[in-house]
Amino acid sequence: PRFYPAEKINRKLHRNAKPKPAKTRASITPGTVLVLLSGRFRGKRVVYLRTLPSGLLLVTGPFKINGVPLRRVNQAYVIATKTKVELGEVNIPEALLKDDYFKKAKKERKQKTEGEFFQEKKEKKVLPENRKQDQKTVDAAVLAAVKNVPHLADYLHSKFSLRKGDYPHTMQF
Amino acid sequence: LINHMSEAVAAAQKSKKIAKAGPGRQVRLWVRAKFLSFRRSKVAQNTNQTILRLEGVNDRTAASYYFGKRVAYIYKTHSGKAENRFRTIWGRISRSHGNSGAVLARFATNLPARAIGSTLRVMLFPQRG
Repeated sequence: PRFYPAEKINRKLHRNAKPKPAKTRASITPGTVLVLLSGRFRGKRVVYLRTLPSGLLLVTGPFKINGVPLRRVNQAYVIATKTKVELGEVNIPEALLKDDYFKKAKKERKQKTEGEFFQEKKEKKVLPENRKQDQKTVDAAVLAAVKNVPHLADYLHSKFSLRKGDYPHTMQF
Repeated sequence: LINHMSEAVAAAQKSKKIAKAGPGRQVRLWVRAKFLSFRRSKVAQNTNQTILRLEGVNDRTAASYYFGKRVAYIYKTHSGKAENRFRTIWGRISRSHGNSGAVLARFATNLPARAIGSTLRVMLFPQRG
């Protein structure tokens, strides 16, 4: 070009866009039984409670039935079945409805002295009491609803698996 | 041996350290797919795209269920610690190929040719419906 500026000025890139939280699929309503597809609890059937502000789903096992605690789950990693638990009013503590409750606490990074560096301390993970208490509070209502339906507790206890002859594109969930 | 392999494979799935899931029945949450070939013409192949035949998928409409689903090629190595013995290359199913249910997949890094004929795992996520 005919004109170059004396100093090159870097233009700032517009990268301010933040992704919006995903809309919950229509097939997922409170009380829906979901199948977890990935992660530590893959194959387990859990009960959907609410959607959190981040777009993640709040689910519970219930814990007594299949060992899945109150947990966040991404709806892309979940199959929504047509089975629904009649939940009605579930008492979910206010603190649970924020994503911060579930986020891992940041570890303080201290400057290690040489002595400490060679002694790797493994801190035991202690489950905070409020987690246990909240689990009981929420599960009370869910368990009561589950016990009303014959075999639903056994169903939630069992794991989902594909077997010979099962093809997901032909299956009704 | 099977338990160890499954746990190691489970670790490979997310490429992270995973606490052992503990004893329990293993579940299959993926569909078997054969790696037929790279996409090709008679004399030249495009190693960027792989043709997969999914088990039980016989036509184009059935194949559309699997679009976007993630695919894993899992292979064993001799080297490395036990957690790293099973390694994985991830990809996604991008489109169908032909009318009989074959699909095209693209991977983060192209698959090695020795994978031709091997079974890949088509996961059920991301789930759309």
